[in-house]
Amino acid sequence: MTDEKEFIAQLLNPKTQNTAFQKLLSDYQRPLYSHIRNIVLNHDDADDVLQNTFVKIFQYLKNFKGESKLFSWMYRIATNEALTFLNQKAKLNGITSEALQNKTIDNLKADVYFDGDEIQIKLQKAIVTLPEKQQLVFKMKYFEELKYEEIAEILGTSVGALKASYHHAVKKIELYVTSN
Amino acid sequence: MKEFKLENESKITTGFKTPENYFNDFSTKVLNQINEGEVKVIPIYKRKKVLAMLAAAVVFIALMIPVVNNYNNTSKDLDANTLETYLAYQSNLNQYDLINQLDTKDIESLNNNVALEKETLEDILSSNPNIESLISE
Repeated sequence: MTDEKEFIAQLLNPKTQNTAFQKLLSDYQRPLYSHIRNIVLNHDDADDVLQNTFVKIFQYLKNFKGESKLFSWMYRIATNEALTFLNQKAKLNGITSEALQNKTIDNLKADVYFDGDEIQIKLQKAIVTLPEKQQLVFKMKYFEELKYEEIAEILGTSVGALKASYHHAVKKIELYVTSN
Repeated sequence: MKEFKLENESKITTGFKTPENYFNDFSTKVLNQINEGEVKVIPIYKRKKVLAMLAAAVVFIALMIPVVNNYNNTSKDLDANTLETYLAYQSNLNQYDLINQLDTKDIESLNNNVALEKETLEDILSSNPNIESLISE
């Protein structure tokens, strides 16, 4: 924790800022990319959102109070950015967020940055049928392999509630895949 | 169809890939964007604000022009018709009041008018049969 405080101080100090931010980028660009990509699904959108996320992180760093960990704070920004992006894109196309996600999944088959087969597509389709919170929990637990404690910090819920959410999500997904 | 169980399956990956070297270039891209934002975006935003305020001020002034003009017109310049109507119907002016308002200049210009009509005067006098009585007066 003291290390983190030191690191944040480096990020805020104009002299060390660049080096520190570069370290932050190289440490977190991959996990945050996966997190965002799992929400927005295609690479170009994930690229946009990831850039915006880091720019916001940089801008809001001076307001970071240290009440939560830097890690979960950044994940929260990334999650908000990705969800906002999805909603805006859906609105722009005049369809619901769910319809947009379904469309994006259909397009995945032709996506050069997607290397999956039927089961991956089916799993994604199953995930879309879940409520937003369950989608997030499932993706973070199953794909990103985050710990419940970490997810709890990011989403601001209790570990117990998360376990229940994940359990529900798995059941619904299994049911969907079995019957489709 | 057999029941699908996530835990019985081998781990299903997302299948998401990124372009080659994406993460190598990414940090440079973000750092550029941030530096650009610091140097350029903020002044542009401020300039935009000033421009917007300026535009608002211009529009306000433009909207005020007819109001100000009308205000000056109505307060200072009475138009001739209104004045005449007022004097004719709303006041107690009589001929004496009007005569009192005449100065020498007005009288001179009246005389000039008469002089210009000399020929007409002659015509009238020569055709008038009671010319003698006029002279004797």
